[in-house]
Amino acid sequence: MSFSISITYWSHFVVISMFALGLLGFLLRKNAIVVLMSIELMLNAVNLLLIETSMRTNTPDGIILVVFVITVAAAEVAVGLGIVLNLYRLKGTVKLDHFRNLQG
Amino acid sequence: MREILFVIFSIFTITAASGVLLSKSPVYSAFSLILSFFGLAGLYLLWGSTFMAMIQILIYTGAIVVLFVFVVMLLNLNTEKENPPNLLFWGISAGSVWLLSLILLRVLTRSIPSKLPAVPVDQLRTISKLLFTRYLWPFEVLSLFLLVMIVAIFAITRTGEIPVGGEKS
Repeated sequence: MSFSISITYWSHFVVISMFALGLLGFLLRKNAIVVLMSIELMLNAVNLLLIETSMRTNTPDGIILVVFVITVAAAEVAVGLGIVLNLYRLKGTVKLDHFRNLQG
Repeated sequence: MREILFVIFSIFTITAASGVLLSKSPVYSAFSLILSFFGLAGLYLLWGSTFMAMIQILIYTGAIVVLFVFVVMLLNLNTEKENPPNLLFWGISAGSVWLLSLILLRVLTRSIPSKLPAVPVDQLRTISKLLFTRYLWPFEVLSLFLLVMIVAIFAITRTGEIPVGGEKS
């Protein structure tokens, strides 16, 4: 029984650290590409939690949800990188500090 | 044995994920992302979800990170330097994210039953059956969504003017 409890603790620790690292990267990094990578990290943390819960409760519904999340993540990355490409064409940089057109 | 593998893969994943946050160059971030996805695939395997481990490696490291690396190479970012980090801002962000993590850990540990999977389900068969019966409608909506995304990416990234009326006369 102690085995299962320790595994539970560890897996939650991994999920939350990955999510926290992704959130920190999203908040702190200035490079738009790295910000998109941080979003991927957060999505993957949620995927890990979904798969773990799904396998633990023996219901395959969480895995279906993970398939959907992966599809949406791929589409989101493609659109985000397209926007980054266009920003680079417009401004010559991908640093988020330089995009101040909407700042009041 | 399973515990040891579990801890090894966890530490590997977290280290690679912190590499994404801490490395200077986006190329190193992309490679750290690849490593962290491999670690995650190992964790999926340990949970008994072989299909998702395969999908993780195929789609994430095979498609998404390649897309990242491709864009990094296209943009030629070597000349850009990051500013030295603002320590106050890093400290505030790290502290608030740490608090959020504590709250999340509390919630997760309370809400999920700590039971290990007893019988591994026949995953591929179960998933495909569910995908084409109960989740057929979301599946079709997702395919439509992908089509919309393809059109949107073409519309965003096209260069040069295309006249409104279609072909040039």
